[in-house]
Amino acid sequence: MKSPSTAITKLLKLIIADEIFDEVHGDLTELYFDRAENIGQKKAQWHYFIDVLSSVRNLRLRRKLKYYNPTVMYKNYFKITFRNLLKHKGYSFINIFGLALGMSACMLILLFVNNELSFDGFHEKKANIYRLDEVQSFGAVSDQKVALSMYPMGPNLMADYPEIIDFTRFWSMGRTLIKYNDQAHYTEKMVRVDTSFLKMFDFKLLEGNRYAVFDEPNNIILSESLAKRIFGNENPIGELIKMADNEDNQLKVVGIFSDVPDNSHLQFEALLSTKLWDSENRRNGWGSNYLNTYLQLANNADPAALEAKFDDFLVKYMDEEALDYYSLFLQPLNDVHLGSMDITHDYNNHKKFARSSVNIFSLLAFFVLLIASINFMNLSTARATTRSREVGVRKSIGAFKQQITVQFIMESVVFSVIALLIAFGLCYAALNPLNAIIDRDLSISLFFQLEYLILILVVVLAIGLLSGLYPALVMAGFNPVLALKGGVTKSGKSYFRNALVVFQYALAIAIIIGTVLATEQLNFMQRMDLGFDKEQVVAISMYGDTNTKYELLQTELRNQSEIIDVTATSQRLGNNLHQTSMQYRADTALIDGSSSFVSVDDNFIDFYKIEVVQGRALDKSFAEDLAGRSFLVNETLAKELASSGSEVLGMPFHFGGADTLGTVVGIVKDFSYNKLNLKVEPLFMSKQPWGWDEVNIRLKGDKLQEGLQQIEAVWTSLFPQRPFEYEFLDKHFDTMYQSEQQLTKIISVLSGLAIVIASLGLFGLASFTVKQRLKEMGIRKVLGASVGQIVMILSKKFTMLVFMAFVVAAPITYYLMNDWLAGYANKISIGLGIFLLVGIGSWLIALLTVSFQSYRVARSNPVETLRIE
Amino acid sequence: MKIKKRMRGTNLGELEELVLLAVAALNDNAYAVTVKSEIEEKADRTLNISAVHTSLYRLEDKGFLESEVGGATNTRGGKSKRLFKVTAYGFKVLREAQELKQSFWKVIPQLSAEK
Repeated sequence: MKSPSTAITKLLKLIIADEIFDEVHGDLTELYFDRAENIGQKKAQWHYFIDVLSSVRNLRLRRKLKYYNPTVMYKNYFKITFRNLLKHKGYSFINIFGLALGMSACMLILLFVNNELSFDGFHEKKANIYRLDEVQSFGAVSDQKVALSMYPMGPNLMADYPEIIDFTRFWSMGRTLIKYNDQAHYTEKMVRVDTSFLKMFDFKLLEGNRYAVFDEPNNIILSESLAKRIFGNENPIGELIKMADNEDNQLKVVGIFSDVPDNSHLQFEALLSTKLWDSENRRNGWGSNYLNTYLQLANNADPAALEAKFDDFLVKYMDEEALDYYSLFLQPLNDVHLGSMDITHDYNNHKKFARSSVNIFSLLAFFVLLIASINFMNLSTARATTRSREVGVRKSIGAFKQQITVQFIMESVVFSVIALLIAFGLCYAALNPLNAIIDRDLSISLFFQLEYLILILVVVLAIGLLSGLYPALVMAGFNPVLALKGGVTKSGKSYFRNALVVFQYALAIAIIIGTVLATEQLNFMQRMDLGFDKEQVVAISMYGDTNTKYELLQTELRNQSEIIDVTATSQRLGNNLHQTSMQYRADTALIDGSSSFVSVDDNFIDFYKIEVVQGRALDKSFAEDLAGRSFLVNETLAKELASSGSEVLGMPFHFGGADTLGTVVGIVKDFSYNKLNLKVEPLFMSKQPWGWDEVNIRLKGDKLQEGLQQIEAVWTSLFPQRPFEYEFLDKHFDTMYQSEQQLTKIISVLSGLAIVIASLGLFGLASFTVKQRLKEMGIRKVLGASVGQIVMILSKKFTMLVFMAFVVAAPITYYLMNDWLAGYANKISIGLGIFLLVGIGSWLIALLTVSFQSYRVARSNPVETLRIE
Repeated sequence: MKIKKRMRGTNLGELEELVLLAVAALNDNAYAVTVKSEIEEKADRTLNISAVHTSLYRLEDKGFLESEVGGATNTRGGKSKRLFKVTAYGFKVLREAQELKQSFWKVIPQLSAEK
């Protein structure tokens, strides 16, 4: 008898769930045969068709598995997972460790980025606090943003604009000697602020009244650690201390605040009221910029609208011309730490950092994690083939496709959780060295805050899930019959895996090229000829009391055998020099401008071996030079002066509103007194009789220690009240590049990790590919292939992959790095050499990785390899 | 979702009750085809096999029936059949339905009068 139509049966198969298809189909077939006997085949066929169609109502019918106990299966999955893990120790190690490396790098960066973003976050009113900054534009100098404002600005702004609720100034005193019971102590950061300071900012006050600490002008509050240094275990409240520079001022300690946290851009050890320095002169001191002003706006105030009114404000208090030189803008408090890279004269910005660097870090961390995840996925997929038998057995016993998928996804999740645990360990081990490199105080405890723990777990589970998905689907798709026969080891279909290898290698190559270029740029800047000689120069700070004996100090020091010369300056080279207003006469007109200025001793040019282009250096045989009426200008300023059409040498010139005009006596070659990523700006120098901020002493090269001892002996004999402290100028220059150095160090580590992880992946992948071709290699060897030939054959494919990765990565990196270098005034050019070097280097690493595997195979006895199966 | 809602509770639909009774009556040889013909014979109505499938699996889901896979015969194209059995719970529910109806019969006057 004819069976029911197969086409209709196929339709039934579409309708009815797999697990009950057999029984339903059987029922329908039985009915069909019954009917065929009774009413004929044709009608039976028709009824069969109707039955199938009406079965649509059972489209969603499933049999609940009565005796299905998933926990048993999950237990089994776990067991198999760990057995596999232990069975292939090498593979498991590579897989898990690679992922753990990527994770820990990512987590450390997370810590760092979190720390950067947390700056100034502890002030409750942070959303309403703004720093008042200026844009200065003087003469030929390009506009520059400065973190400076004028003494009278704060009070007058608050008086004029109701949307400003409060203001405070932050006026640093720099290094100050304070005395208590004739014991002298230096404090690095003594700061004058307005009474409102502690109302605006939430620095923690341990003792004293937040709102009343500055009621008396001579009140002072100290940090916990400074108080401990001065008073030991005594109670400091109510004690009187003196400032060494001004013995008349008795300061009364009225409060103690806990040490300023590291993630505050404002740092201070002692706070005083501005009242003690207040005077009619200062209150009208428009035009002098020397402090920071912070404004607190009303909740509903619009900062942009307020900024628009600042021009009128300047005109009101200064004059129309003020707008030619100044404009004011507001910088949100949360932008000060990360958004001030283009702002100069930013003296009170602790550990200032570039937001772009934070972004680079985050991006790199993401990429490293991505590379690690790809590895993980690649290795798992490659491994899949070796477990086809297991899948075959599971399927024939009755595992559904979905169960196989769940099993393998679960395995990869378990692996990633193990990797996470290892990553925690790695983080813990790496944190202290990292803190030392980047000069931060990061703590791993952040990870155990609930929100971060959840974030980490979610990311880790997502990694496990996503990287497990592809291999899981591949495995679940195995045909059980083929799988059991061991015939699923198709090696041809690995485009996806190859694409992933290319992708991760391209990322690694790009990161490495970027790192090499960034490091080169940094080294280039540090080695560049600055235009003056900074070697073997010792800098010692000067104070009011030491300045009175400067001449004596200089003579005494010059008499020492290991000292070449001694000079003095009002500012240290390498710092961003202060700007001042200047006037010069061209024809008959008096022209206003502004320029950096430093007061120097008459032998300064000679001391630093700065080249004089025209005219002469300062000379103590000229009376005007000693009186501060002779000026040296650098080439940049000379260009600006010359643009007036008059001869620069001999040009009448003065500054800061002095009464008598001096003259320009010399032009010196531009020298880089600034950081080298900035252009050299206009500068003039003269010798002013105000006393010095520091002396510079050049030692003979060979006996530095002896030279230092000689300086110390002279210093302590002259100034027994002052502890001897010094810094080498070249070290000072190094610290200027500290943030760049930290940046390149971290990036170097990250890029190292990237290539290590990528290689780990390649290693794992290579070992599987090689294993798959064991037989082929055995046959080749029997037929006479040499070891070298076999290694070649096996390595060829990976060479291609790395080459493709290079082709993808090189142009993109070139483009990006060109963009980055554009931000530097003095920059290296990107050569082809670096690209070739990195390209060949990564190829060699890949080759080495692969060869290790292929060499082992090539050396092995073909009898062993051919005997398999 | 509708299906799930109806699954709740012990309420038996009319067809479900018939199917349950048929399974009980068929005793060891209850599978979709025999259940169908049993009901068609007793109730003198035609039923589509798919409706029987729906009821059988749903009743099993509710715990009124249990099943095992039985032998395949040639007339079934070599496919196995699922044999159903009423569970203790199923019998309880059947009895309750019966008692419920009985309790109504007791209080309906005309019918008691007819007796």
